[in-house]
Amino acid sequence: MNYKPGICNFCGTGCGHLLNVDNGEINGVFASRNHPVSKGRLCVRGWHIHELVRSDDRITAPKIRKNGKLESVSYDEAISYAVEKMKGIKKPSEELGFFASPRSSNEENYLLMKLARSVFKTNNISIESESGQRNSLDVLYKGTGMAGMLGSLDEISKAEFIFVVGTDITKQNPIVGSEIHMAARNGATVVTLCSRKSQIAKLSDMHLQCNAGSKKIVLAAMAKSLIENKLYDADFVQKNTEGFEGFANSLGSLSDSSVESLTGLSLDDINSVVKKLSQAKTAMAFFSSGISGLDADTISYIYNLFVVAGKIGKEGCGVNPIAGIANLQGSYDMGAAPDLLTGFQSVKDQDAVKKFNKAWGSDVPAENGKDVYELLAAKKLKGLVVVDHDEIIVRQGDALKALDFVIYFGAFNNPFTEYADVVIPIGTYVESDGTFTNTDRRVQLSVKKVEPIDGIQPGWKVYTMVADKAGAKWNYNAPAAVMAEIASVTPTYAGISYDKFKGIGGIQWPCNDKYPQGCKRLALDDVKGKVKFVPVTANFKGPEKNDEYPFLLMTGKAQHFWHQNNLMRRTFIPMREYNATLLLYPNGYIEISPADAKNIQVRDRWPVKVVSPHGSMKVTVKITDDVKSETAYVPYFIQNMVSEFLMEHKELLEQGEDAIIPVRIEKV
Amino acid sequence: MFLIKKNDVLKLAQELEKSYSVYGPVVEKESGQTFLAKVDNVTDIDLNAPIPSLPPKNILFPQIEKIIGYKYDQSSKNAEIKMLVVPEAKALFGIRSCDLAGVQCLDRFFMGQEFVDDVYLEHRKKTFIVANTCTAPFAQCFCACTDSGPSAKEGYDLNLTDLGDVYLVEAGSDKGKELCEKMGLEKSDNSHLDAKVKVVDKSLDLFEEKAVENKAWISRVMNRITTGFIKPEIWEYIGDQCFECGACSFVCPSCSCFNIEDFNKQNGTTERMREWDSCSYEGYTRMAGDHNPRKPIEDRRNKRFFCKLSYSQSQKYLRPGCVGCGRCAWVCPGDIGLPNVVTYVRREITEREINE
Amino acid sequence: MSEYKVITVPEVAVIKEIKKEIEDTSTFYLEFANPEVEKNFKIKSGQFIMCTIFGAGEFAVSLPPSPENDRFHISVRNAGKVTGALHRLQVGDKVGIRGPFGNGFPFEEIKGKNVIYVAGGIGLIPLRSSIVHVLQHRNDFGRIILLYGSRSPKDLMFQYNIEEWQKIDGFETFITIDNPAPGWTGEVGFVNTLIEKAQVPVDNTVAFVCGPPIMFNSVIKDLVNRGMREENIISTLERHMKCGIGKCQHCAIGRTLVCTDGPVYTYKQIKTLGEQI
Repeated sequence: MNYKPGICNFCGTGCGHLLNVDNGEINGVFASRNHPVSKGRLCVRGWHIHELVRSDDRITAPKIRKNGKLESVSYDEAISYAVEKMKGIKKPSEELGFFASPRSSNEENYLLMKLARSVFKTNNISIESESGQRNSLDVLYKGTGMAGMLGSLDEISKAEFIFVVGTDITKQNPIVGSEIHMAARNGATVVTLCSRKSQIAKLSDMHLQCNAGSKKIVLAAMAKSLIENKLYDADFVQKNTEGFEGFANSLGSLSDSSVESLTGLSLDDINSVVKKLSQAKTAMAFFSSGISGLDADTISYIYNLFVVAGKIGKEGCGVNPIAGIANLQGSYDMGAAPDLLTGFQSVKDQDAVKKFNKAWGSDVPAENGKDVYELLAAKKLKGLVVVDHDEIIVRQGDALKALDFVIYFGAFNNPFTEYADVVIPIGTYVESDGTFTNTDRRVQLSVKKVEPIDGIQPGWKVYTMVADKAGAKWNYNAPAAVMAEIASVTPTYAGISYDKFKGIGGIQWPCNDKYPQGCKRLALDDVKGKVKFVPVTANFKGPEKNDEYPFLLMTGKAQHFWHQNNLMRRTFIPMREYNATLLLYPNGYIEISPADAKNIQVRDRWPVKVVSPHGSMKVTVKITDDVKSETAYVPYFIQNMVSEFLMEHKELLEQGEDAIIPVRIEKV
Repeated sequence: MFLIKKNDVLKLAQELEKSYSVYGPVVEKESGQTFLAKVDNVTDIDLNAPIPSLPPKNILFPQIEKIIGYKYDQSSKNAEIKMLVVPEAKALFGIRSCDLAGVQCLDRFFMGQEFVDDVYLEHRKKTFIVANTCTAPFAQCFCACTDSGPSAKEGYDLNLTDLGDVYLVEAGSDKGKELCEKMGLEKSDNSHLDAKVKVVDKSLDLFEEKAVENKAWISRVMNRITTGFIKPEIWEYIGDQCFECGACSFVCPSCSCFNIEDFNKQNGTTERMREWDSCSYEGYTRMAGDHNPRKPIEDRRNKRFFCKLSYSQSQKYLRPGCVGCGRCAWVCPGDIGLPNVVTYVRREITEREINE
Repeated sequence: MSEYKVITVPEVAVIKEIKKEIEDTSTFYLEFANPEVEKNFKIKSGQFIMCTIFGAGEFAVSLPPSPENDRFHISVRNAGKVTGALHRLQVGDKVGIRGPFGNGFPFEEIKGKNVIYVAGGIGLIPLRSSIVHVLQHRNDFGRIILLYGSRSPKDLMFQYNIEEWQKIDGFETFITIDNPAPGWTGEVGFVNTLIEKAQVPVDNTVAFVCGPPIMFNSVIKDLVNRGMREENIISTLERHMKCGIGKCQHCAIGRTLVCTDGPVYTYKQIKTLGEQI
């Protein structure tokens, strides 16, 4: 049989597919029809993953930089050199950092994390600045003890009310968007809260097109309306939660008149949505947790709104962050964070640390580490270990050049290798077994489909070789053995083992004695104590525009401007689609409404100058009804597009999707 | 015409295996999905399996394929170019009549127009086709509306029909007949042909009860699609639901758009790849110098359904481009598989008639 | 098919000469490496070829040479990845050629008529073949008029050709540039303004029109307003093409495929295609 089941490795949806493998070559892909999440669907990226995995643009040999040039050497030589460099670091807690990939398998990330902590004695391990995901997990963990989606993607069809906050979900995680659309077709009420008329907004029963940057205020107003009109689930709140008073009080300062003026929505509209939410027996909230995800305060409001509505811990309910990258959830599960061990166990949790010390035969460093950006900012960093990344170069190229050494692990050629002193190739995800945890906590096994290219070792094996060279004795014969160890130290993964992965669909953690086959959603009786309302700020200031800067500029991603362009560049059709937009709008684009275009006196694809208090950029106009008057939208983060301007507003951007920059737009 | 005992039917595949690589419906165990796969062992073939996830297009016109390879040496100016397509002789065993209709569309399109596509020809010229009559429809089927089933009328070398304890084996070509004679198959008589008619009639009767997912009376909308006499709002409604994934084109037995890219390898050679493309993509029609004549998504959707359901396109295929397999409805992240589009258009026609 | 066509595997051709035409556009004179191919390769005016730049890809390009007594060449603007790679090549470098493809201009049907050429910018490239051919058969046609416009004097294509053609009896040329420029003493304005100036006839006349969409549309409008029949306005269309032989469908417009049904269409046909041009 030349079709072999597997998991799509692009976004965090974790769709099932089958790869057509013939004579060791991957010649195609087909959607997995019985997969509980994707049910026979894939997006433009998923339908072309074979283009990526058959790419010839691989790192074909280990390399060491000699006299400024990378030269091929043996694995042994490259690893010895790398280990020597890392061992030479005096204060690993300040001078050595590990930069893991949200695309690596759980086994690889676990071993890299173990390498950092137990062999090289540092907690400095982090993944990309996916602050939205971390914010989401923190909020959900604080509230329920579950650091993952509270609901389940395969229960979207059971939700009567679906609330999409922000996120261009049909572009970023198309199959999740599709599932929401299908639920709508079957009678669910879908409401989108977003300043832009995205595709999901068009497909919704109701689009709350709020003023840019005012989502939090809408959410607070909804919660307030629920409580004041006694539409909230009082039984649920009384029986299962604590902290209700505090939350209700924090809404007190929000006046009805300020809601209308700050959000641009009528109270009637907000109240009618609230009524629908309250009347629905089941409801789910979705929001992006990726690079342009929401800030912690807004996420907390979404969570609290759903708690007060009694829409968590039941079938068809949940607060559901959507991860943008294949194993983003899994990376946090595997402790690829400076303060976390596996399964969201804290580095400060003495019991957990003891367990790890025993399992590893080596002590976990006591203090929290720093993420790679903090390390670079502190300027004490000497060495960096990087796996499969390129984004950081955009912002930190000079800081990277100043380091003593960079060690790069990856399958494909990558601009990052230009900064590396040692390059150590690893196999692609189809060349070895590995598990990936998608956005609904679904741990799925992707089995080996083809032999690695000549002489290349899979990641788990390479990390084991590094550990051995450094004097640790790791005895893993296969990824399954790594998973056995993960299960032994991770309560949420305790019941997971490779022999449980039969058939399609994987296992959703928590998987343990109580849930040997995994668990679809948060179970209220598993919550220690009661479900907690998460503290929120009562800061209801809207973004400010003025006569000088009369536009509110939003930022976001467009479908084909998808992060990790290093991967997209190895495809044909997804890359063409990316280039299609880039060719039509070679300098990027800014979306403005037809009315504003008339005022500024520009036509589609005319250049304009966008001026903020901090800088300016020249960009092409895209005229569309998708944005409201006096708001504008730019797709962001592409190196060759508008990032330089946006980088000036770095602090603002940390607010993620709700980052709003007041600007004025001038005809050039 | 010939007969073969039910238990012996795979002997036909065994015989074919001597001269062909045999592709047949095989159920992939873990996913439970049927694929028209290259069989390692003919006993893996399951003639009763549901229609395969992908049509036989995948075998005659692969998802991605190297068509030529070249090497150009910049210093010596030496250029070497060679064709890389070296297809094997293939037997498609047990394909359903809708899929055979799809193969015929491809044949007429690739080989019957002004130019013969020599890459397709390479695949096609060494092909042996054994069709299999559907004794009952599957949930998504509507071949009865597209005149492509439940039993094939032409285009096969052999056509199998399950008559209970025997299979009727109809030969549609000389090489089909030769194979039957070589195997010494028993001759059938008129009673078997009558029995086949009954099987086909019964299969058609079962559509009401079993083919419950799709109702696509396409004949009524073909006229409207051909003349373009459909409200733009309908295309917008359809376009809003398009996720631009391309899946409908990929699973369609008759969709044949492709892209060509030159792919440079690290060893200095280049492979020219041809792979499936879809008219739903924005980059599909984009030209150098920024001009895209078919930019809005509803225009692009409109194009696909024109291809499937217009008379002018039918003239190339000598039948409607849609063969009634229902796969596009399986894979669509929107809700715009072809049967639904037909429903939307029909609904509009009806509304218009009521209003007039 | 009696004509010689290269369908899938390109034939190798050598760049014999490169001539810079304007800012970003050059002419590449080509000769097939295989003498058999060189001998048998025949084109029709109005056809196109698919040109492979090794290591970069393939693009469709119209053929400016006349089928008779003209050196085989292509004139290409540097507009993207593949054409950019062509512009980096030098004399002696090799390229791959498939074709020729497409229907070509309908010369038999227009014999005895007046012929008007209206070109904007590099829109003169695909019309060159027809102009040379018609001038080679001067006596078969009535008035022959070229109306040519470009952004500025330095954007005018084939000026040396135009000078040659003007020596031929009865070849009328009108040239304009969009905006005044130092040293330019000729006409200023868009090319459609020349229609009136040239007193373009409409009876027993065909017009060949080629240029960017905005120019194309306004010229068509003026010609039709003047009384020219839509079936006598001829153009050649450009589309994104991958195969050249009517299979990949990238160039589909409504029910027609530009590569096999076109690229030459009458305006009457273009109007019924049902899509934007």
